[in-house]
Amino acid sequence: MEQDQSIHRKMIWTIGGGKGGSGKSFITANMGVCLSKLGVRVVLIDADLGGANLHTFLGISPPALSLSDFIKKRVSHLREVLIPTAVPNLQLLTGAQDLLNAVDAKSVQKRKLVRSIQSLDSDTILVDLGGGNSLSVLDFFLMSDGGILVVTPEPTSIENTYRFLKSAFYRRLKQSVCCSSVKALIDDALDRKNEMGIQNPHDLIRAVRQIDEEDAQRIVEEVKTFRPNLVLNQVRSKKDIEIGFSIRSACLKYFGIHLHYLGYVVYDQEVSRSIRRKRPLVLENSGSRAAQCVMEIASKLANSHSMANRD
Amino acid sequence: MRDGDRLQISQQSFHGQPRLKGTGMKDIRDQTYYEILEISPTATPKEIQRAYEHARETFHADSVAVYSLFSEEEVKGIEEVVEEAYRVLMDETLRRDYNQSHLPMPPMAEGQPTETSSEAQGIPGEEKPPLSFTGLSFDAEERPYRGKTLKQIRQGMGIELQTISKEMKISTKTLEWIEEEAFEKLPPLVYLKGFLKSYAQSLGLDPPKVIEEYLRFKEESKKK
Repeated sequence: MEQDQSIHRKMIWTIGGGKGGSGKSFITANMGVCLSKLGVRVVLIDADLGGANLHTFLGISPPALSLSDFIKKRVSHLREVLIPTAVPNLQLLTGAQDLLNAVDAKSVQKRKLVRSIQSLDSDTILVDLGGGNSLSVLDFFLMSDGGILVVTPEPTSIENTYRFLKSAFYRRLKQSVCCSSVKALIDDALDRKNEMGIQNPHDLIRAVRQIDEEDAQRIVEEVKTFRPNLVLNQVRSKKDIEIGFSIRSACLKYFGIHLHYLGYVVYDQEVSRSIRRKRPLVLENSGSRAAQCVMEIASKLANSHSMANRD
Repeated sequence: MRDGDRLQISQQSFHGQPRLKGTGMKDIRDQTYYEILEISPTATPKEIQRAYEHARETFHADSVAVYSLFSEEEVKGIEEVVEEAYRVLMDETLRRDYNQSHLPMPPMAEGQPTETSSEAQGIPGEEKPPLSFTGLSFDAEERPYRGKTLKQIRQGMGIELQTISKEMKISTKTLEWIEEEAFEKLPPLVYLKGFLKSYAQSLGLDPPKVIEEYLRFKEESKKK
């Protein structure tokens, strides 16, 4: 019974989208530290396939234990592969490859792993997904309680984020419909040069209506509940901050989805200085402007967590 | 450092982030002018002005936020609807006609109190301005706030100088001088800043930005 409650209360946030270098790991690590300082028990999961190095952001040497020790049954409990950090309430779990393989597999093992993660003794889990775009990354993003996209105000970063969002969006729609011809249609829609002339989600819904009204309704419902979050990183001017609002409006017009602009982090030399020292910025220089920004975003996550618990 | 200071805007304002008006999966062609501008049907002229400026900032050919989602024609199409929406909604008569033909029910229809209250609940977060973020304003390089721009914006909102004068306790003459850019008649800097701040607030503009740009313009014209 007790365990059920702890499963109920847990929030899993995934941090992904965009491309490498937009600051996902930096934000994940520092948000984790902030939350744990607020008294939230946090587990950070490093699922960045391209370059798993959350440990370095926390000043830990490459961990000897990983998720694969649990999967290969070298340890019996998932909590045994958790790595403690210098911060109380904050633990780290590594093993990107294994994690994503498991998500990919439609098996008992996958469900078992997800259940093990959910039963970990913590309040919040932050998963750093890296810049990947693979189906398993998308699935993890969609499975979480809240997906956070980290973007910098540059065209390349925004472009990649939209690509990620589009893939996640269509994947979510595909998972929500029943009719196999509708599923096939959604696959086709991802390719802008498709024969049906489907250019955007609006065209898609029109096409789906002609095949199956119920599925069309399912899609409409799905769009309403898909609410990813946005963090704009390395902001240098007021105009940059406004780009976040523009992204929000563009997503509403194009996808019909409500993207939540969670906040921004200003560009700050202190960030790279802290990374070189292998110390989280919010500990190393909590007065710096970037640290202040991360703290504000973390407190919002903590708030939404306590709101969810109140329900 | 100075430039950095300008970024010290509290993200608290993000808390008041209004829920965008729900359009769901509605095609742009099927959206009302209110949905196009992401505002509620009861939006004030001030809110419409702000939403319009945000939309203009967002939907244009060079905007980093749209080029990879929309084709050039699509962006152009949105730009046109935004202009049209602004034109209609800022004109009292046109707006009334539009509401009658495009809104399911006029906001104040039927005198039954129960109906009115349930209707009000149907529009979540309508009491909030469409964009609560104070830093949000149009491109400084394009349209800096000088007297003439301020006057245009005020007139666009259909706000009388007398209204601001009464509300902010500033003489109409001073407000006129501000708009006419009669710099030699304006009061000393300390007072002028205060007046500009009140003026900006009454139009829902960003006060620091208005003050900065107005004073810069004043300095530049002095040099000439």
